[in-house]
Amino acid sequence: MAVPRRQRCHRMGICRCPPSHLISLLLFLFASETACRPSGKRPFKMQAFRIWDINQKTFYLRNNQLVAGYLQGPNTNLEEEIDVVPVEPHTMFLGIHGRKLCLACVNVGNEIRLQLEEVNITDLSRTREEDKRFTFIRSENGPTTSFESAACPGWFLCTELEADQPVSLTNTPKEAIKVTKFYFQQN
Amino acid sequence: MLVLLGDPSVFFSRLLSAGPKVSTFCALWKLSETMFLYLLIMGVSAFTIPPAEHMVISENCQFRGKHFKTDFKVEGEPVVLRCPQVRYWLGASASPHVNLMWRKNDSMRVVSGKEETRIWVQDGALWILPAMQGDSGTYICTVRNTSYCDEMSIELRVFGKTEVSLPVISYPQILTFSTSGSLVCPELSEFTRNKTDMKIQWYKDSVLLDPDNEKFLSVRGTTRLLIHNVSVEDAGYYSCVMMFAHQGMSYNITRNIKLRINKKEEETIPVIISPHQTILTSLGSRLTIPCKVFLGAGSHSTTMLWWMANNTNIDSAYQDGRVSEGQRLDYSENNENYIEVSLIFDPVIREDLTMDFKCVVRNTLSFQMLHTTVKEVATFSWGIVLAPLSLVFLLLGGMWIHRQYKLRTGKAYGLTALKTSHQDFQSYPSKIKEIK
Repeated sequence: MAVPRRQRCHRMGICRCPPSHLISLLLFLFASETACRPSGKRPFKMQAFRIWDINQKTFYLRNNQLVAGYLQGPNTNLEEEIDVVPVEPHTMFLGIHGRKLCLACVNVGNEIRLQLEEVNITDLSRTREEDKRFTFIRSENGPTTSFESAACPGWFLCTELEADQPVSLTNTPKEAIKVTKFYFQQN
Repeated sequence: MLVLLGDPSVFFSRLLSAGPKVSTFCALWKLSETMFLYLLIMGVSAFTIPPAEHMVISENCQFRGKHFKTDFKVEGEPVVLRCPQVRYWLGASASPHVNLMWRKNDSMRVVSGKEETRIWVQDGALWILPAMQGDSGTYICTVRNTSYCDEMSIELRVFGKTEVSLPVISYPQILTFSTSGSLVCPELSEFTRNKTDMKIQWYKDSVLLDPDNEKFLSVRGTTRLLIHNVSVEDAGYYSCVMMFAHQGMSYNITRNIKLRINKKEEETIPVIISPHQTILTSLGSRLTIPCKVFLGAGSHSTTMLWWMANNTNIDSAYQDGRVSEGQRLDYSENNENYIEVSLIFDPVIREDLTMDFKCVVRNTLSFQMLHTTVKEVATFSWGIVLAPLSLVFLLLGGMWIHRQYKLRTGKAYGLTALKTSHQDFQSYPSKIKEIK
């Protein structure tokens, strides 16, 4: 008699477990969801922009590096758009659309470098000092736009004259060997 | 593809040094026999057997995958394929200690460095001149040095010279309406290196553009075509053609461009059209105050819209998230642009009533804000329900009192009548009726 009872208990235990677990899971999920909800959403909508330099080179990724070049027919699917989150009307964070990558200016061993960092553009803070490296100052000149790093004053986003070369930063934007003028338009 | 299996002089000297033991006749016979065999092997190897030393040894060679770009080219023109690894990790100039080899996927034969053939390797790049549709396929570049080997493939598609292939072989380029800008004849660097007299002819929809045309200017010595004051009609297919001479033959190098004309975004002074200056609410309830901004033809992208509470950003003022900003809405109604961001109270508490809330809008042209305060509206209480009820009761009570009073006066009259005309009892009801 004892064995079946235990079995029944066991079976009951099995029967009872899922709902209770489910409830606790739901409660946990609810609690975690409410806890994870960002307090105060960013008031600026993230927007995707197309970028190409005045020599008509578009941006794409090669080996996790941003390069500028010419894309033909079906290759145009490789083009990367730029996500923008404004910080102020003329300053903004720049990221690679649909990817967790943001453009940053970093100083590595006294060398100014453009870096793609694995960070979500919406997680960047306008007030946090360490996020300043992701901020770029946009200046417009007729139909074209230039981007100066806020963390590295005097350094501008640029492409090489030659195609398929990495996008980088230059502190001599006036020189003809680099291209610092871009078309930057919303789709 | 003729390859010697050994040095013939060594071969003959070995034969001749076979020693005095062998008779001259025998030696001659052997020589002719071996010569025959030698020629036979050479002939066969020339036609069927790939040369052993040119076989690709794929062992221990890491395949790095396919190059992400496919090359789309036109038949009859020169094609140059660069080894993808060189761009990826070897740097612009490959080290002299590195050996680059090319082969087509469906053939094990390595492309030689001889320019007499139609396909050859030059400075690590694969040249095909002129390209044919049959050259389409996958090409593999092998990079090797004494200790290292890797491979990458690249896809080539060669199309016939028809308009059907235009969308595939074209490079899209974009210019902005009513500005001046350049088209660029792309991917010519293999042919323009060390060239100072670069001459490019530009065509629009297969019609040669006049170099003296004021609208289009082919900038001398560059690959650019400057278009003045871009109009909508300038959109369409362009082609640029460069001449390329090789071993006394001249070839065309054509690139096709599909030009699109974009309109530049406008910026206007934004106008905050809501909320009202005071918002009535009740404590403990959820409240949403939308801030709606009219932009007209202005662009959404350059306009920022946010809320503040007593000069503090909402997310810093309410870190618990009780008061927050809603998702920004960008929309258009009747071709006019609007932005909306809501301020959400969940719930409203007493301290919100003394707070100064501001909706702030800013773009490069203007900065504006609108103040709003939250006021408590009398919440539901029995007083609200009782006030009209008591009025009704009062009215009804008044009416009842009035009726009672009238009734009482009527009765008194009746009684007097009873008293005065006690003979006529029948008259009483009629009298009552009269009172009524």
